[in-house]
Amino acid sequence: MTLAKRRISPVLIVAAALASASLLAQPASLPNRSGSVKFAAIGDNGTGDRPQYEVAQQMATVHATFPFDLVIMLGDNMYGGQSPADFVRKFEQPYAPLLSAGVKFQASIGNHDRPEQVSYKPYNMNGQRYYTYVRGQVRFFALDSNLLDRKQLEWIDGALRDAREDWKICYFHHPLYSNASRHGSSVDLRVLLEPIFLKYGVNVVFSGHDHVYERLKPQKGIYYFVSGAAGQLRKGNMEPSEQTAAAFDQDQSFMVVEVAGSELFFQSISRAGRTVDSGVIRRQTRVSE
Amino acid sequence: MSKGPRRIRRWRAAFPRLSRFALEHLLLLPLGAAIALVWVNADPESYYRFTYAMSFAVNDVAMVFFFGLMMKEVVEATAPGGVLHPWRRAWLPVIASIGATVVSALLYLRTVNALEEPALEVGWPVSFATDIAVSYFVARIIFRVHPAIPFLLLLAIASNALGFVAIALFDPTRELHLVRGALIMALALGLAFALRRARVKSFWPYLIAAGGASWWAFFWSGLHPALALVPIMPFLPHAARDPGFFVDARPSAHDALSQFEIWWRYPAQATLFFFGLVNAGVPLHALEPGTWGLPIAVLAGKPLGILVATGAALAVGLHLPHKVGWRELIVVGFTAAIGFSMGLFFCTALLPPGQLRSETSMGVLLSLAGAPLALVTARLLRVGRFGR
Repeated sequence: MTLAKRRISPVLIVAAALASASLLAQPASLPNRSGSVKFAAIGDNGTGDRPQYEVAQQMATVHATFPFDLVIMLGDNMYGGQSPADFVRKFEQPYAPLLSAGVKFQASIGNHDRPEQVSYKPYNMNGQRYYTYVRGQVRFFALDSNLLDRKQLEWIDGALRDAREDWKICYFHHPLYSNASRHGSSVDLRVLLEPIFLKYGVNVVFSGHDHVYERLKPQKGIYYFVSGAAGQLRKGNMEPSEQTAAAFDQDQSFMVVEVAGSELFFQSISRAGRTVDSGVIRRQTRVSE
Repeated sequence: MSKGPRRIRRWRAAFPRLSRFALEHLLLLPLGAAIALVWVNADPESYYRFTYAMSFAVNDVAMVFFFGLMMKEVVEATAPGGVLHPWRRAWLPVIASIGATVVSALLYLRTVNALEEPALEVGWPVSFATDIAVSYFVARIIFRVHPAIPFLLLLAIASNALGFVAIALFDPTRELHLVRGALIMALALGLAFALRRARVKSFWPYLIAAGGASWWAFFWSGLHPALALVPIMPFLPHAARDPGFFVDARPSAHDALSQFEIWWRYPAQATLFFFGLVNAGVPLHALEPGTWGLPIAVLAGKPLGILVATGAALAVGLHLPHKVGWRELIVVGFTAAIGFSMGLFFCTALLPPGQLRSETSMGVLLSLAGAPLALVTARLLRVGRFGR
């Protein structure tokens, strides 16, 4: 190989990579309306491995055209060591473009997370295992499905009862409904949470834990998403059932969501930038309305 | 005589004579646990609806009588003439229990982190648990009548007591109101004392008045109310002589403690069945590698901790009981690793429903491996019935 070729080839490789990335990264097929609530959802992400970085890169690419300002984290935010260096390698570095763009991460805790994560500032949990916050006409509820004690159940009951926003979105690690064969539905939690969700008209629930993407058909009127493959992946683990509306288990993935008026648009995007699922949910009519 | 009946008789002779309560503890609780395991994996929704509806009645109310009966055994055994009397001999087992629990807990914390499931750390007090009845049963098979038995019993009682303290202090979800609880407990103890001074011989006033107040004291303080009878049982008048640990009270016995046992042993057995049914249901798909944290910690940590702590105690001048050496201590350690009923109780007291409880409960069930391990080790080390 000549000297000239040696100098040129890395440039060519980078250019080719960028070109291929821009080709693969389809612009988000969401309406991208001004004033809408835009957010991304990632679960089971904190491996520090290459796939996590590639998903994060894809998120940054999507962010360029769909400027979401919130990322909800569905637990298992970090695997293995959880030292300060790990927080850099498994969170701050991969998501640096988003963090520097002012995107706010709001975490929930999974079974691989150390409890001290609630005090890690960039997760914005303010030392709380479970908490709520508002974006526009959407109220989010982050729960701790590791320790769903009576106090937390009373809290979510009261917080949902008092919520006046149009949309109520809950997220936590363990899925109430899932058709992945490794874990599947957390029925023990479902029996406790579902009646409360139904009572107060929760619209959508996001979870992780199973390292796949799955959208479920509305269960008793509530929409459920499993998005636990933003770092980890359990390839071929889906066993779709009649509950399954769409599923993807061939690559890592994340979600972007837009809430505009009475509609919620969603898109699930693979590590390679392919849209694996998308659609729109109309806000459910509540009995009281 | 044919070989068959002789073999059966020999097999029967190998098992110690225990009370119906202890024997049925060894049957009904596992039966409830087995049904729970099948049920939760076949139809989880109906299982959880059933258990959530039943858990308060079983865990917080009915288990009061199980712990009452366990405490009754301890009260009799530590009274003059009892198998655990005098308390002076408790020093070494208590020190050994500190070693067993501390080493188990440290190993547990290391293991769940090594298995990448640090959220399980909150379950460390479960590693303190020892099922007194099962471990006693296994120890009696190995040792028959031997000074290692009271050593094991005292060690188990002390480990469980430390476990209760750990749960009270380190429960991540419980709020304690100890002053309020202490005031009601003072009333409960005062009532029990007054009944004793008045020479009340029936156990009912102790149970209803003092026990009821004690239950509220535990409940309002944020501690587990199943322990309500533990501080009350020592006030009940008891017989002059202890019939032996887990030996049935004679039907003719008129002392309050024996009457309590006669009245409550069958309800307590039913309670144990429901306790297993309500608490041992573990969906197998919920399990992750962290499940192994507890069995690894107790099966390695209990023998190791006992050896280390006993070694330290001997270094400062304490003495091992007659006929108890290092080999016996290792076997006692495996026997004490069996958490079962107490482990499941600690799980439910400490962890709300969910994956962490499921994994820890399965870890408790796996700690039953301590029984065959103790038997194999005893055989290899030629301990107890396997001795020369």
